[in-house]
Amino acid sequence: MLPALALVAAFLGIPILQAVYYSFTQWDGLTATWVGISTYTHELQYPIFWRVLENNGLLLLGIPVAMLLPLGIAFLLNEKVPGWKFFRSIYFLPTAISWVVIGMVSLRFFAQQGLLNGILQGFGLGFIHTDLLSSERGALLAVSITFIWSMVGTNTIIFLTGMATLDNSLNEAARMDGASNFRIFRSITLPQLQRFIQFSFIITVISAFTALFSLIFVMTEGGPGFGTTTLEFFIYQSAFSHSDYGTGAMLGVILFFMMAVLGIGQLAIMRNKD
Amino acid sequence: MMKIKMKRKEIIIFIIMTLLAIVMIYPFYFMINSSFKSNAQFLGASGHSMLSWHKLFKALPVGRQLLNSTIVCTASILIILIVSTLAGFSLAKMRSKASPIFFLGIVGAMLIPLQSIIINAYVNEANHFNLLSGYWGAILLYSALGTPFATFLMTSYFRGLPDDLVEAAICDGLSYQRVFTRIALPLAVPAVVTIIVLQFIQIWDDLLVGLLFIQDPNYRTITVGLGALSAGRTTDIPVLMAGSLVSAIPAVVVYLIFQRQLVNGLTAGIGK
Repeated sequence: MLPALALVAAFLGIPILQAVYYSFTQWDGLTATWVGISTYTHELQYPIFWRVLENNGLLLLGIPVAMLLPLGIAFLLNEKVPGWKFFRSIYFLPTAISWVVIGMVSLRFFAQQGLLNGILQGFGLGFIHTDLLSSERGALLAVSITFIWSMVGTNTIIFLTGMATLDNSLNEAARMDGASNFRIFRSITLPQLQRFIQFSFIITVISAFTALFSLIFVMTEGGPGFGTTTLEFFIYQSAFSHSDYGTGAMLGVILFFMMAVLGIGQLAIMRNKD
Repeated sequence: MMKIKMKRKEIIIFIIMTLLAIVMIYPFYFMINSSFKSNAQFLGASGHSMLSWHKLFKALPVGRQLLNSTIVCTASILIILIVSTLAGFSLAKMRSKASPIFFLGIVGAMLIPLQSIIINAYVNEANHFNLLSGYWGAILLYSALGTPFATFLMTSYFRGLPDDLVEAAICDGLSYQRVFTRIALPLAVPAVVTIIVLQFIQIWDDLLVGLLFIQDPNYRTITVGLGALSAGRTTDIPVLMAGSLVSAIPAVVVYLIFQRQLVNGLTAGIGK
């Protein structure tokens, strides 16, 4: 019990407390001067900070897609058509691949001479020549699409696990009573899946906010402009590109609070099961 | 009639799933295909060649970096396993007044995003402990990051073992250490494998920690080496694709062998 405690305290516990302290200072990594709460109030008046949060907000727009698509796929897989296990393995495969690799391939996919434009041309849509990565919003869209692609496997597995727990006798009883397929889905299947949907939501948001550093690093380096700088990337930039460690620590504390709210939600779900 | 209808439905589903599979598998095809082209061939000339693979081995110390990745993964996973099985066992079977608080602390640590602590962890290790010159800086941070979830998993697993089993063994005169190594640990193999697979993929694929906490390029892991190569704005795509393939293969192999354990680990947070 003690070794675990020591390890976690030394490398997670103490640094998070330090981060809270240093978030109130001006700090270049060596000397820190106490400034107080005004570090936060200043940051809140800084337009780029809001631009970065806006990017995080826009990433959230991709979350319904990142969940509905896998929900549909899970339903198809759950029909247990011959070969479904093979398909399941393929859909889940990106889970094993690093964001560095995913980002590099994705970069080629969205490039001017990339596959996306090739496909458009192939369908006779050559006049829609895309160049997503060169515009701020476009680049964020490209990052979101890549993110959704790589979340498909994880969420599909979560929903499939949920579907394995479904009680089929309820469906049959409802069908006997003359309920339509849609009605059965909405009133019987969805409520039973609720816990899994919540879990998938939390996992997806946590990934969107804290797991995309490497993807952004490889794909766009946060640009063009601040187009794809999310909060987690902004933390890295502040500290390690601009040597503004104090601001980095403060942004880290803000991210921590956002994630803690979500995490407490997740713990509540896990408790429900006990 | 009914039967034919079912068949048609199955065929449609099969077609949709095949299309989806192509979307998911395409990047791998792209990596393999372009890695066997020279830059000129990639840009339009026909044919394949080994040129990019030769170039890759010149640009990246591939063997060394694969070894580095293996060392960092193995050491981190060993530390995680040692501390999490011990902590999980004592939390589940040797309950004391401090246990609930301790458990809450460990689970609470799962909520801390890496980016929130990374600056302070970095400055601490650099200024006070001088840990960034070799592997240890990264290994210790990876271990700390993996321990909370692993402890959570081990605790729930050991809780599932009947208390009678432990009590009977204690009555027979076995010490807690003995019960742990002789009885509990062998029974926990499935959970241990889950942790190994989950952590292996996570650590193998990580860029951020490796980038900051391994400062000597000779100790870089393959994922970091690849990230650095791409950040160096290498425009030779086939070389990058060859590198991507090399770095991805070990994790993919582990995934293919231990898919079930990985799924177990993923869904452990929801329960059955």
